[in-house]
Amino acid sequence: MKEWFADLSKKFMLCFIDKGYWKWLVEGFRNSLVITFFAIIIGFVFGVVLATIRSSYDKNEETLKLRGGLGYWLLKIVNAISKIYITVVRGVPVVVQLMLWYFVILVSQDNGVIVAIVAFGFNSAAYVAEIFRGGIMSVDNGQFEAGRSLGFGYVRTMVHIIIPQAVKTVLPTLLNEVIALLKETSVAGYVGIMDLTKAGDLIRGRTFEAFMPLFAVAIIYLLTVIILTAVFTSIERRLRKSER
Amino acid sequence: MNDKVLIHVEGLKKHYLGGKVKALDGIDCDIHQGEVLVIIGPSGSGKSTFLRSLNLLEIPTGGKIVFDGHDITDPKTNINLHRRKMGMVFQHFNLFPNMTILKNMTIAPMKLLKKSKAEAEKKATELLERVGLADRANSYPSQLSGGQKQRVAIVRALCMEPEVMLFDEPTSALDPEMVGEVLDVMKELAHEGMTMAVVTHEMGFAKEVATRVIFMDGGKILEEGTPDEIFSNPQNPRTKDFLSKVIV
Amino acid sequence: MKKVIALVLAALMVFALVACNTSKDDPSTSAPDASSSSDATEKKTLVMATNATFPPYEYKDGDNFAGIDVEIAEKIAEKLGMTLEIQDVEFGSIVGGVQTGKFDIGMAGMTVTDERKQSVNFTDTYTTTKQVVIVKEDSAIKSLDDLKGDGSMKFGVQQDTTGDILASDTVDNGGYGEENVTRYKAATDTVQALKTGKVDAVIIDEAPAKSFVKSTDGLKILEGTWLEEQYAIAIAKDNTELLEKVNTALKELTEDGTVKSIIDKYIPAE
Repeated sequence: MKEWFADLSKKFMLCFIDKGYWKWLVEGFRNSLVITFFAIIIGFVFGVVLATIRSSYDKNEETLKLRGGLGYWLLKIVNAISKIYITVVRGVPVVVQLMLWYFVILVSQDNGVIVAIVAFGFNSAAYVAEIFRGGIMSVDNGQFEAGRSLGFGYVRTMVHIIIPQAVKTVLPTLLNEVIALLKETSVAGYVGIMDLTKAGDLIRGRTFEAFMPLFAVAIIYLLTVIILTAVFTSIERRLRKSER
Repeated sequence: MNDKVLIHVEGLKKHYLGGKVKALDGIDCDIHQGEVLVIIGPSGSGKSTFLRSLNLLEIPTGGKIVFDGHDITDPKTNINLHRRKMGMVFQHFNLFPNMTILKNMTIAPMKLLKKSKAEAEKKATELLERVGLADRANSYPSQLSGGQKQRVAIVRALCMEPEVMLFDEPTSALDPEMVGEVLDVMKELAHEGMTMAVVTHEMGFAKEVATRVIFMDGGKILEEGTPDEIFSNPQNPRTKDFLSKVIV
Repeated sequence: MKKVIALVLAALMVFALVACNTSKDDPSTSAPDASSSSDATEKKTLVMATNATFPPYEYKDGDNFAGIDVEIAEKIAEKLGMTLEIQDVEFGSIVGGVQTGKFDIGMAGMTVTDERKQSVNFTDTYTTTKQVVIVKEDSAIKSLDDLKGDGSMKFGVQQDTTGDILASDTVDNGGYGEENVTRYKAATDTVQALKTGKVDAVIIDEAPAKSFVKSTDGLKILEGTWLEEQYAIAIAKDNTELLEKVNTALKELTEDGTVKSIIDKYIPAE
């Protein structure tokens, strides 16, 4: 047992301390968090816009046809584009999208972290859009009519009345998306970024120890997900207070 | 009641499936300022569709509606501005479940009329006092009974200081013992001179409060007159038939 | 909060269990290793770990693996009377996998370094190679002397290769500083990054450098050698039996000219 501990601590020193490799883990973790945080913001904002377009079309196609005019055709076109966007983004692996952004679309952007934020953000938007569309469609149509009858326009009804209620219903699913996104950023290493997974890989490549670095990386991801879950649960509880 | 026509409806039509289904089939009707118009008729007669067309929650397929001198069926009209002046009360209340009663009542005046928070809350509190719910200002809708919810829904609409109130079967979803408290609020409103259009099955209310009653069936107005004329001496056989079924 | 603590404890328990198992692989603590290595000689497959993104040493040709290392390994397996099984893994995972016995041999254009020697044994060298630097044809970098770790240029390397380890060291230690080095998973990505201007110079082995420059317009190899290194096969420290056998096979293959003919096939002499 004593030997075992001595061996373990030797490996620990080799993997993290002796050559300062722990700094890679710190930098990698920071990058993973930065990418996840900003990507989820892009994903949330753009996703809600997409969801609003999609659900507006689904809900109001009939009515808009009657009112006619430019608005109807505009919505029809924007809806079709949104649909194509969602299909394409959901149909292509995120690592392929990331490489496309890095090597083809954002060629002049040398900062890999920014490219990753954009790539993961626009990828996430497609998923958030479908999550939110479900949320918006689940809000009772009477809420919509109440908003409109008070004089709120379509968009303001969405913003002030429907979306706050939709957020509450989609919160658990949204957490799933955030967790998935955090873990998906582990492919960021493909475009030369040091993310948490890559930090572990580099330590592995230099120490030829598999267990220590992989375990360290795993535990950091796990703790982050546990903290995220706790944060979301408390937000959810606070929002639910109104509807006992 | 005076002679000013607040809402003028002309040849209003709502057809579905290329004219096979006619929810509204040519409605002509004027609603004067201060009038309490009660619309009755069997279910599927088009009375709710008619009421909901008045603020364009249903988009008509033909005819026009002139509100306060503006043709609101013209797509160029900004309907949102006119809806502010047309309060609406729904069968299922449609209070916002994620907001307190006070917030339910102040959100529209604050966001749309740019009232200050204090101003909007003062007005809301006054109205809540009038309907006896001042102590529930900070409750959430789920904590209220059906009758209380509907009273809140009425004063929520009143917060926008509307020129006309539209009631779409306001008591149909209530337990019988709660119907009275809601009708009382509506009566009070009528006595204050509010212009009202009410779709209801409460014939007692119609008799007591209405200045005019319309009987609808098959998407058409079949008969209209004072409550006395309609209830005591109906002319149209379908009116007679309907009234014989609903009046005990 | 209690839940969090419970989860952490659970994770630590798993950690302890796994650690116990890995310590058993340590040759100093366990006797049955001798028998397990004799198992290895009895088995009929030779598992080779490689990273098939490194032409002409190893790459995928359609569905099959091809390259100098692949062909030499096949000949060695033949001599040993075994069939070769190739596992395509990340370069950084090869030494670790060989060390734990997951793979029998690691052969991936791998340079013999002191650091790697601490973890695995290496066979005799089967070829010597040079690391060179590729730049764009119109690059301001004209010679190896122009390469500087002062932030004026970015270096692209394949993650965990000797190029990565040496280049990302501090300037004082003869590198260019980590902040000036971008690491990619595959050699092809380093060249892609050079082409799209994400990096200014790529440090890479001579042989793949030549094939990349040949197939890509607008790239050139800087004159001279950035580093010379020797390629050998990695084998687990406790598997000395296999090491001896492979060395014997390698010696025979070198003496009868097989190794040279394989290398010449892929890298035509200038």
